[in-house]
Amino acid sequence: MLTIIVRRLLLAIPTMIALTALLFFTLTALLGSPAAVMLGQDASPDAIQALNARYGFDRPLYIQYFDWIASAARGDFGRSHTTQQSVASTILPCVPVTLELAAIAILLAALAAVFTNTLPAGRAILGPVVLGANLIGITVPNFMLGISLIFVFSVALGWLPSTGWTPWSSGLVEHVKHMILPVVTLSAYYFGVFSIVYRAELRDVEKRLFIQAARAKGISRSRVAFRHALPNAILPVITFVGLSMGQLTGGAVVTETLFSMPGTGRLLVSSIGSHDFPVMLAIAMMIVVGVVLMNLLADIAYTVANPQIRID
Amino acid sequence: MSSPRRIVGLALIALILACAVLAPWLAPYDPLRSSVAFLSPPSSANWLGTDELGRDVLSRVIYGARTSLVIGFGAALVALLIGAPVGLIAGYTGGRVDMVSVVLIDLFVSLPGLVLALVITVMVGPSLQNLVLVLGFVMWPSVARLIRGQVLPIREATFVEAARAVGGSPAWIIGQHIWPNTMRVVAAQFAVTVSFAIFTSSSLSFLGLGIPPPTPDWGGMVRAGYDFLAINPLLSLGPGAAVGVTVLGFYLVGSTVE
Repeated sequence: MLTIIVRRLLLAIPTMIALTALLFFTLTALLGSPAAVMLGQDASPDAIQALNARYGFDRPLYIQYFDWIASAARGDFGRSHTTQQSVASTILPCVPVTLELAAIAILLAALAAVFTNTLPAGRAILGPVVLGANLIGITVPNFMLGISLIFVFSVALGWLPSTGWTPWSSGLVEHVKHMILPVVTLSAYYFGVFSIVYRAELRDVEKRLFIQAARAKGISRSRVAFRHALPNAILPVITFVGLSMGQLTGGAVVTETLFSMPGTGRLLVSSIGSHDFPVMLAIAMMIVVGVVLMNLLADIAYTVANPQIRID
Repeated sequence: MSSPRRIVGLALIALILACAVLAPWLAPYDPLRSSVAFLSPPSSANWLGTDELGRDVLSRVIYGARTSLVIGFGAALVALLIGAPVGLIAGYTGGRVDMVSVVLIDLFVSLPGLVLALVITVMVGPSLQNLVLVLGFVMWPSVARLIRGQVLPIREATFVEAARAVGGSPAWIIGQHIWPNTMRVVAAQFAVTVSFAIFTSSSLSFLGLGIPPPTPDWGGMVRAGYDFLAINPLLSLGPGAAVGVTVLGFYLVGSTVE
């Protein structure tokens, strides 16, 4: 087990280097010198030259890249080109916002998907509702769902704030009020994804002999569903929860932008808009780390949930 | 299997296709013509109202079908053109080629597609042609993965062994025996890919990286209308619903053959 974890983590390092190198070289090749971007269109060539020299943008690209990697390994990701703040201090405050949103939305989606799809009682009535919610979740884009919710609950009913975010410190109630719509918006999509994955597995599990045996013994339908079918069908959901958490380390781009939440996703969008390389690169690297770590966690959870499986 | 899902899906696609093809006849106004009636509410003259430049929103939604379908089909085609050869060759050849492809595919698939598309689009610049290429490039790995999975059992089939025994070259076997047998699943996946492409491209334009104005583009319209949600929600919800209907249609058709 330990060797597998170590091997996975070691594999993450070349992946990270390859991806950031790719990003580094293509970004510079396609967008031109960061100095030109920083100074704007009206900058004189002399000013660009001076800034290039000051920040070392005039050195060969590969040296700049190695320099960046070496500093990044020490936790120094450089300074944002737009705000001149250090990248770490720009990104760090965004991380808890994104993590809270992502974790709550994904857990909620996973619990709801597993529970509603397991429930045997009233499958005839509940089934179409669950399927409908599931289809809406994966086909209606986040922004459309979010705007509809904002229209109904903020503009028309006035129950919840439309956008913005308040920290825990300024009151629990205000914080939760601002979180409800974004969480619902984000979790709808994942509810759809998890439902599809779980239902497919459940269909297979329900055909197996031990389910028939449990039914034949006269165990109640809901007990068969929750105690016998559920544990055997939940594994793929765990994988997808890990995958989704990993993908969301870079932020829930659309949801955060729509609701003006100060998370990494919105920071990524704004850094892309202002061509702020150091911030973009650091977030890209964070995403790769997140994806690798979360997949690893999912694999570990997998073996805990089902001792029959040993990853190797 | 002609399930109700498939029929509903086909009906929705037919509706959107009709909008795209018959746009000049269906749309009551020129989608690009502004008027002085800024932000007028829904009325019998402008069913969905007019936008901040006084353009008829319904006409823009109808014309927007063209943009979305071109991006959806174009991107799915690009994804197929890259993904199919990779999947076929990896699955049929096996060994080291397969291993490298699978590692590459898994890496791509686990990265968030929207973020990838976002970063590449900002580098190459948003234009219709670039968006098609970028989205196709983001989506090819899932196509490749699906086709590879289809090839593995077919490779072991007796008719393929027979084809090898009579001296068929790998290219001939893939083209004549393997590819046709993956067609059913590939066709379904194509529809799903179209739906994802439209989903992602509308999200990109919502974030401000879509087709540059004034071309009618649903995601961009939702974004522009968002500021006027309290005045006329249909500015946003109209084009947003169009995205939902289109994505749903292609998804329903594609997901019936899973």
